[in-house]
Amino acid sequence: MATEVLPDERALRNARRERALAQMEAHDLDVLVLGRQANVRYFSGAPQLWVAGTRPFGPICTVVRSTGEIHLNSTWDEGIPDDIPHERLYGLAWNPMTLIEVLKGIDGTATANRVGTDALTPSFAKLLPLAFPNAELVDGEPAMRAARRIKTAHELAVLRGALGIAQDSLAKAVAELRPGVTEQELTGVMLEAQAAGGVCTPATQDGAWVTSREHPWRRARSDGRVESGDLVAFAAGVLADGYVGEVGRTWPVGDIDGPAVRTLYDRSQALWDKLIAAIKPGARAGDLLAAYDAAGEPLPAMPVAHGLGLGFDPPVVTPQLRATADAEVLEPGMVLAVTGYVWREGTGAVFGREAVLVTADGAEVLTSSPSYGATP
Amino acid sequence: MTTSATVAPGAIKDPGDIPDTPDMSRMYRESGARLRAAMADHGVDALVLLNNGSVVYATGASWPLLDAGLSHVERPVAIVLADDEHPHLFLPFREGAAAAADIPADHLHPPLYLEFDEGVQHFARVLTDLVPAGAKLAIDELTGAMRRSADPRFAGAVDAAPIVGAAKLVKTIDQIAAIRKACRITEEAVVDVQKALAPGVRQIDLSAQFVRRAFELGATTNMLEAIWQVMPESRAAGTWTTHGDLALPLLTTERELSAGDVLWTDVSITYRGYCSDFGRTWLVGDSPTSRQQDQFSQWRHILDEVLKVTKAGATSGDLARAATAANSGHKPWLPHFYLGHGIGTNAAEMPMIGTDLGEEFDDKFVFPAGMVLVLEPVVWEDGTGGYRSEEIVVITDDGYVPLTDYPYTPYGD
Repeated sequence: MATEVLPDERALRNARRERALAQMEAHDLDVLVLGRQANVRYFSGAPQLWVAGTRPFGPICTVVRSTGEIHLNSTWDEGIPDDIPHERLYGLAWNPMTLIEVLKGIDGTATANRVGTDALTPSFAKLLPLAFPNAELVDGEPAMRAARRIKTAHELAVLRGALGIAQDSLAKAVAELRPGVTEQELTGVMLEAQAAGGVCTPATQDGAWVTSREHPWRRARSDGRVESGDLVAFAAGVLADGYVGEVGRTWPVGDIDGPAVRTLYDRSQALWDKLIAAIKPGARAGDLLAAYDAAGEPLPAMPVAHGLGLGFDPPVVTPQLRATADAEVLEPGMVLAVTGYVWREGTGAVFGREAVLVTADGAEVLTSSPSYGATP
Repeated sequence: MTTSATVAPGAIKDPGDIPDTPDMSRMYRESGARLRAAMADHGVDALVLLNNGSVVYATGASWPLLDAGLSHVERPVAIVLADDEHPHLFLPFREGAAAAADIPADHLHPPLYLEFDEGVQHFARVLTDLVPAGAKLAIDELTGAMRRSADPRFAGAVDAAPIVGAAKLVKTIDQIAAIRKACRITEEAVVDVQKALAPGVRQIDLSAQFVRRAFELGATTNMLEAIWQVMPESRAAGTWTTHGDLALPLLTTERELSAGDVLWTDVSITYRGYCSDFGRTWLVGDSPTSRQQDQFSQWRHILDEVLKVTKAGATSGDLARAATAANSGHKPWLPHFYLGHGIGTNAAEMPMIGTDLGEEFDDKFVFPAGMVLVLEPVVWEDGTGGYRSEEIVVITDDGYVPLTDYPYTPYGD
C-alpha cells in the first residue's frame, strides 16, 4: 500500500485482460456484464471500496469484446487506470433503470448477440434485455473462471505479497496466545496487524478459535476464553492488492498433555505429506480427498481446498462436490489454499492451511509460517 | 439476554426503553413471523435466500462475513416455507463460524455449493424434498449454474429482494437492540481512535486501532474498509467525479495526517449480524476556525429541521424537502448518495432518501414506526473541509429516538 490509491500495474492488468478477452472469444461472448468484485478487478485493475459479504448482482463493469472497451461503475477516477478514460466511468446509482440507460449508451450493446453475466437477480434478468435487445443472456462465469484459474507471473508476485501480510498477522496473534486471552482478542490482534501492515481488508475474520476436545469441529466453549492445555487454531486471510492470501496454524497453550499432543501433530504431519504429494500437474483435485483417506483421517467439516486468486477461484474440493473435484485436472499456475485437519477426542484439533502453487513438476508451498512441531 | 417486558418499537419514548442486549430467540420468532407475513402479502410459498444479509435476517445465524470474493462460494443458504415456523439453513463450516441456536436439528443441513453444476443438481433434489410441486418460489440470486440447469423452478422464480425488504423495513425491538449494541461497540472503539488522532499518524493506523478494539468489545464482523478521508481545499481541487461534486468515500492509504486536515470518517461493524454505521468529521491537531464552526452549525441546523418532520407517517420526500429548505434550496447530500438510508443486516437498506429513484418514489415511501434510519447530511464550503456526520434514529409514533450517542468533538458536544 502506498500513500495514494493506485491502479494495478499495467503489466498485470494487460496480462489478465488478454486472458479474459481470449476466454470471451472461446465462449463466444460479445459482451460481459460483471458484478462480482473479483471479476471487476480482473478486467479493470481498479481497487474498489471493500465491503464484507455477498452483494446482489449489478452491472459494475461492462466489457465489449469487439472494441476491448471497459466501462466501469465509479463516481471518481482515483485509482482508475488511464486506459479507462472518464467517459467510460458511470456513477453510483440506486435506480436500476439509470444503469440500464448507461448500458444502452455503450457502443456494441445494441448489436450484441451473446451477453454473459457473472450472476443475476430475477429483476435484472427482466431488465437487461432492454439494453441488449438482440442478445441471448448467458452465464459468463465459466469464461471468467477459465481466465482466472491459471495465475500469471505478475499475479503470483502480488499473491505472495498477500501471503506475507497474512503470515505476519498470524505471527502477531500467536505471540499473544496465553491462558485467559479470548478468541475475540486474538482475532483483534490479527486484524490490527493486517491493517497496520497496509491491508485493512480482511478476507476472513474467523481469526482464532479454541478447538474442542469433545467434538470434531464444534467450538470448545461459548465464552471463547483460552485455557491451559488448549489447542488454539489461527486462520489469517487478507485481501491485499485484490488477491486473497490465507494461512492457518494451530498452537498449544499452557500445560499440555505432551505425548497426546505430539501424536496428534505427527498425524497432522503425515496427512500433510499425503496432501502435498497429491498436488502436481495432471493430478485430480479429488486426489486431495483421497489423501485424507490414505492418511486414515476423516474429512473435515470445511472444504479441503479452494483456489486462491482474486477471491475464490476453482476448484472447491469438498465431498459435496466429489464428481466436480474428480474431473478437475490440476495445471501449473493454479494456486490452492489447502486445509489439513486432524482431531482426537480429549486432545483437540490440529488445523493448518497452506497456499500451494502447482508448478511444472509438482508443488511449491508458498506459505512458511512457523509450525508447532514439524513443518509441512 | 434480557427477558424484561418490552415496548413496541413504535412506542419507544427514549433510548432506555431499548433492551441493552437483544433476546435472540425472540428476534428469531418475530422476524420469522414478519418474513412469512411478507410472503403471504406477495403470494409466495417458498423463499430461497443466498444473500448474506437475507440469510441473517431469516435464520438468526451470524458469522464473521467473508470477503466478497469468497462469500459467494462458501455461503449459507436459507429456504423459508410459508407454513413452517422454522427456516431450513444450509450452513458451511468456516473455521469457528457461529451456529444458529434456535433452528431445530432437522432444519440444519450441510452446505450447498450453488456455483457448481453438481451442487445445483443436489439442490434441485433438496428443493423437491422440501418444497411442494407447484409452489410459488422467490429467489434473491441466480448463480450461473442455476441458470444453466434449466430447472423451470429457477427460471420461473420471482425476485425475493422486495419480499425480504418488506419484512426488514420495520425492526423488532431486539433488532433495534442489536443495532444499538453494534453502535455502542463502534462508538467505544472510536473513542480511542479519536484520541490517537495527531499529525504523523497514518490513516491505516486508525483502521488498525479501530478493528482491534471493535473485536475486543464483541464485534462479529468488520463490515467496511474504514474511511478516514482527508477533504480537499475546494471542490475543484478534489478528485475528479462524474458529477463535479465531491468524491466520497475515497480509500484509506498509508498517508500520514497533517495538522489542519479535515477528515470525514465512516466505519461499520456488525453485532450478531446487525450493522452499525458511524460517521463524524474530525480535525487533526487543531481547533475549528469560525468558518469551520459555521459549517457544523449549518449541518446541525439541517439535521434539526429534518428531525422536526421525522416520525411515523412522514415520507422520504418530507425529509428531503426539509433538508433542502434548511440549506437555502440546495440539496445537502452528495449526488451519488442520499440524505439518509435504512440499516439492519445490511449497512444500507431501504429507504434511500433523495436518490435517482426520484421524487415520486420518495413521496410514496411512508415511514412505518419501528424503521431505523441513518441521516447523513453533508455541508460544504470551499476552504473549510465541510461537515458530515451520521445520526441513527428509530422512527416512532410520535417522532424519533436517537441510537447514536457520540459527541461532535472538536466542533461541538
